[in-house]
Amino acid sequence: MNQLKRYFLLISVMLYGAIQSFAAEAKQRFPKPEFDTGYVQPHTTAPSPRYMLLQYFDVLVLLIVLSVVTWFVLKKRSRKGVFWTSVFSLLYFGFYREGCICSIGSIQNVVLGMVDPTYAIPFTALLFFLLPLIFSLFFGRTFCAGACPLGAIQDIVAIRPIELPKWIQKVLGLIPYLYLGLAVLYVATKSEFIICRYDPFVGLFRFDAPYNMLILGILFLAVGVFVARPYCRFFCPYGVLLGWMSKFSSRHMTITPAACIQCKLCSNSCPFGAIDEPVVETGKRRSNVNRLMTYFVLLPLWIGIGGFAGSMMHVPLSRFNQTVYLAEQIIEHPEVKNDPKNIDVRTFMSSGKSTEQLVQEADTIRRQFYWGGWLLGGFMGLVIGTSLINLSKFRKREDWEPNKTNCLSCGRCMDYCPVKKEE
Amino acid sequence: MNISKDDKIKLAQRIAWMAAGFALIMAVLLIANFAQTKLNKPIDNKTIPELVKRLSENPGDETLKTEIRAFDLMARKAYFTSQWQIRTGIYLMFLGVIISILAIRYILAAKSKLNEIDSVEKVNELDKLVAQKWVIYVGSGLIALALGSGFLASNSLKDYMVNENIAVQEEKPVETAVDPAIQEQASTPVDQAVPVAVPTTTENAVSSNVPAETNATVVPAATIAAKPAGLPTQAELKANYPFFRGPEGDGVAFQKSTPTDWNGAGGKNVIWKVKVPKAGFSSPIIWGNQLFVTGADAQSRVVYCYDKTTGKLLWEAAADNIEGSPAKMPKVTADTGLAAPTMATDGRAVFAIFATGDVIALDMSGKRLWARNLGVPDNHYGHGSSLIVYKDKLLIQYDTNKSGKLIALDTQTGTTAWETARNSKISWSSPILVNTGSRTEVILTTNPNVNGYDPQTGKELWNIACLSGEVGPSAGYAEGMVFAANEYAKLVGIKIGGGTPEIVWEADEFLPEVSSPMAVNGLLFIATTYGVLACYDAKTGTKNWSQEYGDAFYSSPVYADGKVYITDMTGKTHIVKASKDYQLIGTPELGEKAVCSPVFQDGRVYLRGMNNLYCLGK
Ligand code: SF4
Ligand code: SF4
Repeated sequence: MNQLKRYFLLISVMLYGAIQSFAAEAKQRFPKPEFDTGYVQPHTTAPSPRYMLLQYFDVLVLLIVLSVVTWFVLKKRSRKGVFWTSVFSLLYFGFYREGCICSIGSIQNVVLGMVDPTYAIPFTALLFFLLPLIFSLFFGRTFCAGACPLGAIQDIVAIRPIELPKWIQKVLGLIPYLYLGLAVLYVATKSEFIICRYDPFVGLFRFDAPYNMLILGILFLAVGVFVARPYCRFFCPYGVLLGWMSKFSSRHMTITPAACIQCKLCSNSCPFGAIDEPVVETGKRRSNVNRLMTYFVLLPLWIGIGGFAGSMMHVPLSRFNQTVYLAEQIIEHPEVKNDPKNIDVRTFMSSGKSTEQLVQEADTIRRQFYWGGWLLGGFMGLVIGTSLINLSKFRKREDWEPNKTNCLSCGRCMDYCPVKKEE
Repeated sequence: MNISKDDKIKLAQRIAWMAAGFALIMAVLLIANFAQTKLNKPIDNKTIPELVKRLSENPGDETLKTEIRAFDLMARKAYFTSQWQIRTGIYLMFLGVIISILAIRYILAAKSKLNEIDSVEKVNELDKLVAQKWVIYVGSGLIALALGSGFLASNSLKDYMVNENIAVQEEKPVETAVDPAIQEQASTPVDQAVPVAVPTTTENAVSSNVPAETNATVVPAATIAAKPAGLPTQAELKANYPFFRGPEGDGVAFQKSTPTDWNGAGGKNVIWKVKVPKAGFSSPIIWGNQLFVTGADAQSRVVYCYDKTTGKLLWEAAADNIEGSPAKMPKVTADTGLAAPTMATDGRAVFAIFATGDVIALDMSGKRLWARNLGVPDNHYGHGSSLIVYKDKLLIQYDTNKSGKLIALDTQTGTTAWETARNSKISWSSPILVNTGSRTEVILTTNPNVNGYDPQTGKELWNIACLSGEVGPSAGYAEGMVFAANEYAKLVGIKIGGGTPEIVWEADEFLPEVSSPMAVNGLLFIATTYGVLACYDAKTGTKNWSQEYGDAFYSSPVYADGKVYITDMTGKTHIVKASKDYQLIGTPELGEKAVCSPVFQDGRVYLRGMNNLYCLGK
């Protein structure tokens, strides 16, 4: 396991190196337009040092907050401490920094940094991406517990949480994978930053969301009163990555500070359904093993069919790309070319490009979506196949334990455990 | 003082209720305010445009100006105040929500130390089985959904590319018949003296050496023989109105005492008005006492001939039974249609072209002389280029998505006199004829070129790449200068005649999209789709004035009798003095929408609206 971690750290460093070396070549992305009208080009100004400093300050704050939460969860075992740290994070990263920069969105910067050599990923964005993952790899998802403003705002409103049946949790739990896959696909095709675009809470942080996003944010919070942290559990794409890391964490928080005495007091304490109960194998051993084997055999089939289905989706999926959308619009309704209010069409017209060129470009992008669709579909097939395998795998467990993938390290369950720390 | 725990809880409950109620009130107020600002954006304010309109009628009115400014300021202030109210409201609402949540959390914490969640009945193994089942259902459902939507989604990008192939196939029969001859000519334009007979009117088109005279199935040979001989003189052409935008196709009408006042709806100065049976955006042409327009729908393509004086329909002739004409109409947009190109005449015959690629020649009594199909033009709006005649040649600018050509047909037989391949993209502009003093040139605009050709041989004389986009405006010309423009590209003044043609000035403030530039008396007029008429100095390209009327111009400005006439899409014709200073003469209304350009003859204006054709004047 330790080796695995070392690899992860190594990969992080290499990733950074690779992206930075691209960045060195990065030039101004678009040449300045030439104006014949006597317009004087303003000089390019570098961001003020204060602004840069603030960004590094954000990273510092993140690092401190992560350390503090981790300390509260693992050493102090204090739910109160975690809660108030998360309130601080909500105020600082949420309302003061207006939800930007954010680790969840940084996935997109990283992907773009990898596919587009002209894009220089900001160092701070990279750190925001890596730090929580690194912490998670060692200590579990303490980032979710106290550093993520999105998590914090949902945690605060979780007043009357109810437990969802397992099958609903499992099914909804597929969404984050899909969301992650789509986010990567849209960035890799340079179409859209969907995570930022559909962030339900950033509008609340800034007090100026478009109307429907504001409604969505309020809706999430309203649902969040009963279904604790709905975004975290059923949407967050970064949560997927954190979960993967956390699975391997050796110093993950435990419900009990010492040995579990099987009192079951904590069994109804987790609002996120993240506590695994002790299991003893029931049913016929043979049929269980058979089922598991079938799922293993079916896994490649899931991947293949999923990939094919994903590739079939490339036409509708690519419609969210500006260029493809524009090309289709112009083909299907050529009269939009005369619409003076359609800014996109006007911009295209003034570019001097012909419709054929546009269609060519759009077709190239659509082909990227075709292959992207294969990957996305295959990935989803893999997710479905493995989640079936996980559901039929039998692993003996004797104590009540947090599920390392899903546990948000919020610390609620610790208070329920009557066993006290041995001094 | 010692407050008991129960009291604390009660207090917290009260606070929670009050804060929640406060937040609710704020929410209601906010929604009301939001709705109000949505309805009253200062930009949509009706009063200001009203005042501005009054001001434009009365440009010197200082009090009106102050009134407008004050009103504008007020509207803006109101808007920003309500914006401020919304912001503050949101903050207050949030404060309420946060306080009530904190209070509730306090109550919960105080009531019991640990609150259990509402749990469901759990049987670990069974739950897992149910979950597996659902994951399989949902997984398969997702895949089915993806496959289904993938199958249903039509890839119009592919269709677009495939369509081009289909178009090629449709046109095949004609193409094979014409191509061999054309290709020979395209490389070395043949002189008119050695016309290559390419009869396409007949069923025999495949065997390309059958003489044109055998086309007896359509038109008796006798009709052709009966045609008046000789070519129209320059004076004859100038006295009539034979082409789109006048005798030279450049928007200058050599007419006197043109009317400036009419009202189509009210009947004022309307001499006659007739409904043209089929729709079309072709402008009228006039020869002698006859006026010609075209109209078309999916059923038929028709040439109409009216008595210019009375408006009586003298005859109509359908362009049907033409070899190679497509059975299914090509896809065109509503604002171009099947009959957009204006006809042309040399006084001996009239010529018309339709979006099908059908070209037809009729004698002045409506008898068909010849007809042929040039191959269905691959044009996503519909073919738009109008015809023009030079001596015994009918010139056709045929720039399609597939290729660009300038074609000259023999006016008497319809055979291809020459055909020049053009290195150009699709366009909708029309040829103009220009006499530079030393020679006559036919000048075309397209993306990217403006070029001059020898109308006799089809040889390209010069070529300047300066336009981009989908070029609709034709060229303008006056005193050795060619003017070309297109929206999103630029406006250029090109000096031709004497030396290599070159761009002497460029401008880009006002650019036309459909309407063509018109130059006269050292002035250049440009009409834009966003409703501005601008006047430039033709020599230098400096702007003399610009006037915003607001309604789009699709038709082209025409000069007549010291005035410039330009009709906007609502049917208002703005008549201004052709001078360096802006001077409005009148704004008569047609009473219906119009995209055709006005036509002048004998002190009258002929204007085609969307439905009716008008003769206006006294
Ligand atoms: S799951 Fe996502 S949104 Fe929730 S706390 Fe973790 S990172 Fe934040
Ligand atoms: S710390 Fe405990 S209560 Fe919190 S998410 Fe993990 S298991 Fe659930």
